[in-house]
Order: sequence, then C-alpha cells, then structure tokens
Amino acid sequence: RFSAVFIFSPKQAEVEETLKRIQTHKGVIGTIVVNAEGIPIRTTLDNSTTVQYAGLLHQLTMKARSTVRDLDPQNDLTFLRIRSKKHEIMVAPDKEYLLIVIQNPSE
Amino acid sequence: MSTTKAKLKKPTLKVTPSSRVMNVSTSGVLRVNHSSTYARSINASVSRKSFSLAADSKILDKSSVQTPKHTVQVFDENGKDVTPQPLYQPDPAAVMSKHSKIFASDTSGGTMSDFYSTAYQTTTNASFAGPFTRSVFGSSTVSRGSQSTMESMNEEIEDPSSKRDVSISLSDVQVRREEVKELIKEEMLDEVVDRYLIESETLWLLHMPAVSVSVDSEEAESVKERNNLYMELCKNRMGNDKYVERSMQTFNGAPKTKEVQCEAITMVDAATTATTWDMYDSFRSAGLGEAALSPDTDKASGPEIVSNHRLDPTRAPERTMSVISTTSIASASSSRIEMEPFVVPSEDEPDPELIMQSEKFQQDLFVMERVILENIYQPKLAAYRQLPTLEDPDIVPKVVPTVVSRREESSLDEESTLTPALERLWSFSCELTSGHNVSSMAWNKRNPDLLAVGYGQFDFKDQKSGLICCWSLKNPTWPERVFTCESGVTTLDFSASNASQLAVGMHDGSIATYNVESREKTPVIDSSDCAHKHTSPVWQVRWIDHERGASGEDKGETLISVSADGRISKWFLRKGLDCIGPVLPQSLKVVGNLSITLTSPCSQGPLYRITWSPFCSDVFLSCSSDWTIQLWRQDLFTPVLGFTSTQSAVYDVMWSPKWATVFGAVNEGRVEIWDLGASILDPTIVSLASPGVKLTSLLFATETDCILVGDSDGQVSVYQLKNLTVGEGTQVDALDDIIGSTLASQL
Repeated sequence: RFSAVFIFSPKQAEVEETLKRIQTHKGVIGTIVVNAEGIPIRTTLDNSTTVQYAGLLHQLTMKARSTVRDLDPQNDLTFLRIRSKKHEIMVAPDKEYLLIVIQNPSE
Repeated sequence: MSTTKAKLKKPTLKVTPSSRVMNVSTSGVLRVNHSSTYARSINASVSRKSFSLAADSKILDKSSVQTPKHTVQVFDENGKDVTPQPLYQPDPAAVMSKHSKIFASDTSGGTMSDFYSTAYQTTTNASFAGPFTRSVFGSSTVSRGSQSTMESMNEEIEDPSSKRDVSISLSDVQVRREEVKELIKEEMLDEVVDRYLIESETLWLLHMPAVSVSVDSEEAESVKERNNLYMELCKNRMGNDKYVERSMQTFNGAPKTKEVQCEAITMVDAATTATTWDMYDSFRSAGLGEAALSPDTDKASGPEIVSNHRLDPTRAPERTMSVISTTSIASASSSRIEMEPFVVPSEDEPDPELIMQSEKFQQDLFVMERVILENIYQPKLAAYRQLPTLEDPDIVPKVVPTVVSRREESSLDEESTLTPALERLWSFSCELTSGHNVSSMAWNKRNPDLLAVGYGQFDFKDQKSGLICCWSLKNPTWPERVFTCESGVTTLDFSASNASQLAVGMHDGSIATYNVESREKTPVIDSSDCAHKHTSPVWQVRWIDHERGASGEDKGETLISVSADGRISKWFLRKGLDCIGPVLPQSLKVVGNLSITLTSPCSQGPLYRITWSPFCSDVFLSCSSDWTIQLWRQDLFTPVLGFTSTQSAVYDVMWSPKWATVFGAVNEGRVEIWDLGASILDPTIVSLASPGVKLTSLLFATETDCILVGDSDGQVSVYQLKNLTVGEGTQVDALDDIIGSTLASQL
C-alpha cells in the first residue's frame, strides 16, 4: 500500500498537521482525501467505506457543480455540506481531489 | 370519396322496368308526392311532414333531434345572427321551374332514388352528403334529391347524423323553395302557368347487364341464334374431336426452408447533455484559443489533461527534488519511508503528494476545519454574537432529562436566573499555550473577531520564551498565527491605521512589531538594535493617533512605550525602531504605571494597570497588588473611591466599553464585575477561577456583552455577561453623580 510520505517542505508539514488536527476535532468520524480517479490518498476509514464514500460523493459533487454552473456559468462550487440525521458530510471538491470529512456534531 | 364515385356513375345509370329497385322507388315517389302537395300549401317544414308519414321508420326518433323550425338560425351571445350560410345557393329561378318535376316524373324520380340509395350505402361521411348533394346536382336535381333522400331514409336506416345533416339541407332547400313559392302564390295565383316537362340526362350508376332479353327486342334474333348454336355445341361436345379433354400438371418445386441469421447488431447509446456551463467553457476556450484548456466535453479526461498540464511546469522542480531525496535517505527530515525501495517516481506517484501540497488543498483544509468547528461551537458563538441559538433537531434523547431538570430548577431558582451572572462560553487554548501565562490581550482594530494574546510571566523568575498568538473567533482550538519571542511578552497593541500591525513589548525591554497578515514568523521591526531601548520590562505599548500634525511630523500613528526603567519613549519606525527620549505624558490618554506612581504615592505596591474611562475623560481606574482598585479623577491627588473585595493582588482592571459605571477586574482567584450604579461596596458579579489557576488578564469585548479572561495556564476563557441590567440615565451622568456624591460625603 502506498504510504510513503516525503516531507520536503514546511508547507507539507503544516498540511499534515492540519489534517491531523481535523481528525482529532470533536465528533469527526472520518477524513478522506481521494484523487480524481477515486484512489484514496489519505483516509482514516477502512478501504471499502472509503471507496464507497468517494464514489458516491464524487457523483453528487459533479451534479452539484453542474447545477451551480448551469445557473451561472461563471460561478463554481466551493463547498458542499450534507446534513443527515446521524451526521454531517462535508465535501471540499476540486478538479484533482475530493476532501471529505464526516462529523457527528451532536456528540 | 364515394360521392365522387357516385358523380362519375351518374351517366351510366340505366333504368329498366324490370329493376326491382324501381318498383319500390315508384312507390316511394308516390308517397312523397303526397307530402309535396301538402308542402306547397303549408308553410310548415316539409321534412317534418315527411317524417310523420314514415311512421314505421326509425327516422322519427332521429327527427326529434332536429329542431322543428323551418329556418335554422344560430345566434351568438350578442344576438348577432351567425347562421352558417350554405355553401351552395341554388338558383331560385331554376328551382322554381324544375320543382314540378317532383310530381310528374316517375322514372326520373326513380333514378334519383336509385342514386341516393346507393349513395347512402356507400357514403360514410354523411356530413359531406349534405353540401355535396346540393352542389352535385345543381338546380335541376335539388328537388329530386330532397324527396329521394326522404324516401331512402325511409327505406334504409343509416347513421342518424347523416340523415340529420341531409334533412337539414333538405329543410334549407325546402325553405328556399317555399319562399319562392310564396312569392308566386300571392301574385299569380289565378294565372295560367305553362309548365314544360323536359327529361334530364340520364345518370348511370350501375349497369348490370341483363341475363334475359325480351323477345320483342332487336337483339332477340341474334340472341336466339347464339343460344341455339351454343346448345348444339354442348350436344356435340361429347364425342367430338374438336374438344378433347386434357389435363395439365405443373410442377411444384419442393419447398425448401432457408434461414438467414446475421450477427447481433450491437447498439450503442450515445447521449450527451449540453449544459449551460459546458457551452460556456467551450466557448471560452475556443475564444481564448488556449491549448491548455481542453475543449472536449468529456469530463473524465478533462481534469487529467488539465492537472497534468498544470502540475508539470510548477511541480517539476519538486519532482526532481524528490528524486534527489530518494537517493539520500539520510537527508529526509521527518518522513516515513517504506521498506520498498523508491527508485524512480512514476508519473502517478508524486501526484497525490502534489495534491496535498497544492495551495487549493491547503485552503480547503482551512475552510474545512472552520466548518467543523462551526458545527461544534455554533451555539456558543451564537450566544457570543447575541443571536438566538438553534437547537439541533437530531439531539432528541437528551431533551427529556433536561426538560425535567429544567422544570425543577426553574421552580426553585426563579430568582437565580435573573441575577447577573457570567456564563462561560468557550476558551481559546491549545497545547502550544498550555503552561504559559496570559499577560495581555488586544482586539484587532479592524476585525473585531481577531484577538492577539501575549504570553509571558509577570515576575522575574520562571521566564520562558514569550509567545504571541493571534486567535480568530472562528477557531478556538488553534491560533491563526503563532509568533515566538525570546522573552516573555508583557504588552500588545494593534495599530488602528495599519490594522495588521501588532506592536509587542517584552519583558527584557525590547519592542517589536509584527505583521499578522503575512505568515512570517519574524517581526517586521525590532528594537534590539536601538541604542536607547528600554532596559526593563515594557509595561505598555500604545499606538497613538496624532490628530494634529506637530511640526514636521506626519499625521499618523506613533508608538509610545512605557517601561519600568522610568522612561516613556516615542518610537519612530525607520530602519529599526528608534526612539526619542522621555516624552511628557500630558497628551497621552493611557499612561503606564510609572507616571502615576510619581504623582500619587497612595498605593503601595506596583500598579499593574491604569485605565481611563471611555466615557468620562478625566476618570481612571488603577489596580495594584495591594488588593485594591482605585478610582481617580485627574485633578485630584487622592483616589475618589477604592474597592477591595478579597485579599489578593488585582492583576487587571478594565472599564466596560458599553456602560460607564461598569468595570471588570481580575485578581488571583476571581473575576469581578463591578457596577457602581448598583453598589460601590461589592462587585455585582463574581466568578471563581478553577483551582490552581490564577486569573491574570481581562478584556471586554467591544461589540457584545462578553469578557475574556486570561489565566496562568494559557487559557483565555470567554464569558458572557448575563442579566446585567444597568441603571437608566446617561452613563456619564451616572458616573459623575457617584463621584460627586462620594466627594460630597467625604468633605
């Protein structure tokens, strides 16, 4: 499994730290970073769950982005939050990756 | 159309006396004749009369549908006559001349009836029959048409609509005829009228050649002869050589089944959605003519192309760097390397790392963290901002017990909920700050959500390196900026004109300014090079706004510092910080401790803080380690009022920015909020600190009713003032009254 990390810039260290901090916040169930193909880069959940989340959210993000841009082509989707009964899924989409955090705010 | 066929057949119709149809028709005609005679004299609708005759036919029922008026008139809602006019207007003169034929001609009537019966048999769309009947036959045949339709209707029962239409047409025609007749009647009743009977041309509809010929006809002879010949032929047929029976047989080839099967034709569904943004993108990329932007609509390939292109030029140096780092394992500072050798980074492998390092990713992480925290801290932040807190609808199970307990509480402590109290909302702290003593706090002048906290020890012992943290309200768990300093920070102040400039005074006497906007960890300017820098702890730094530009000076802000070595210095921000020597504190509103100790030696022990009232310009408070807070007026050398509550040093005191009579103070173990309007002997609100922690600094929030309390453990707690009702009347007056009354009582 690919897990080699080369931290050759202070920015990288900061990024790792921020990720770690996010994971330790109250109520955060999991953090996933997947690339455009759906391959997980960083994840705190098991592989099957990660792949499932990534695939489904990728589609939803595409649809959401399509909606936003249909309404105004100069606009673009920056953040997507889905609040469900049990938890909240927050997605920061990008062309190259998807940053997904699942949080249970009521914990 | 059947009617057109009928038209063609018109000339071919031959009437022979032997035809059965004719017999019936003649009877029909006779019947009709009867009715027509009546029609002439009576103005009533002929159609109606005829229908009454044909009692046995079903047409009676159908006729009831017809409205019994001889003119069919249609009126619209305005009363205008919008009767549809018939397409064909028969020539009344022609009608008149021919109408007598109805009665006279038997055979001709028969032809018409023949025609009509067949026409009806073949007509499907009878609505055509109406106009057609009139137009087809012209004036000469209209009358006949009318009577024969009646007759055919009697005989054959066709669909009612056809009859109805035709009968309407019939009535129309009849009407016209009658109108014409009217004119005649009145004028020329007694005149002798000549009537001419002319036979019209014959219309052939059907020709059925007869099987028998009359003996009297001319052909009879030839026919007879032919018949005889034929009979002889038949007789001779038996043994005649001329007629030999032969049979033939055709070969029927054996049928053979052949099957053909082709390969399944694969169907591929191709679909594309032309979305608005797709077209916009294509248009833009086509317009710009950039090769980088891929114009194709396939989204899957799009990002790849873009990403490769984008990453290549910018990340190439880093990729080469990664190659270098693989070879020198020792140089990797804090990396987790797997056991497998990482020889050459393939095209894909660095990409995930590149993603992680991209600016956008960092930005997204930043936003994500804030979103998560917002979820966690939303009720607290809402309380801070004095917004109604929304209850999470999903937290159902917790509601029940709290409701019960709340009810109990509310019944018992009805009064306690109304007493002023401090409610703790949250605290700014992280592992970086734990153990550090909070020495000063300052709000940013432009962004009221930004807080700078300086950490440093007050006393000489246990001097750690100082720390400055810039906290944002949106993230109480991690500071936005962290600056480390060599010595403990004792004072902070944000500049008003340049909102990102933060001046810091330190325990070792040095002063530095930081630019909080950038991510640099080093100060912008330092006073370490200055020859005249302070040698003792700087107690206060302030940015002072010059309202009037003194000679040669720019209008703007200057930095003033007060230090324990007895000097008040004004600093110029040039290449380094440079200062002018002691500056008289007359124009300064906020003065360090030292100046006061010079003028009023009433308090023992060092003064920790002096703060002017934001409402009354000549009133200020001081707090010191001699357990007292003292209220001074500028012109008096003795304090007006003194407040003591506990036997512990008061570290910080601050006026409330909202109420003139309210101030807050922290001593070692408690936070006290005093309301001079309510009581000058006791604090209105007292909140105890957690055991083992000393409260060291206090700051009021400018926009809301909250206070920030810093303690010796590095935590800055945010409390909300609840139920603090301050007396009415203008604030300044209230304070003045109190001071005045106190002074009066003293005299």
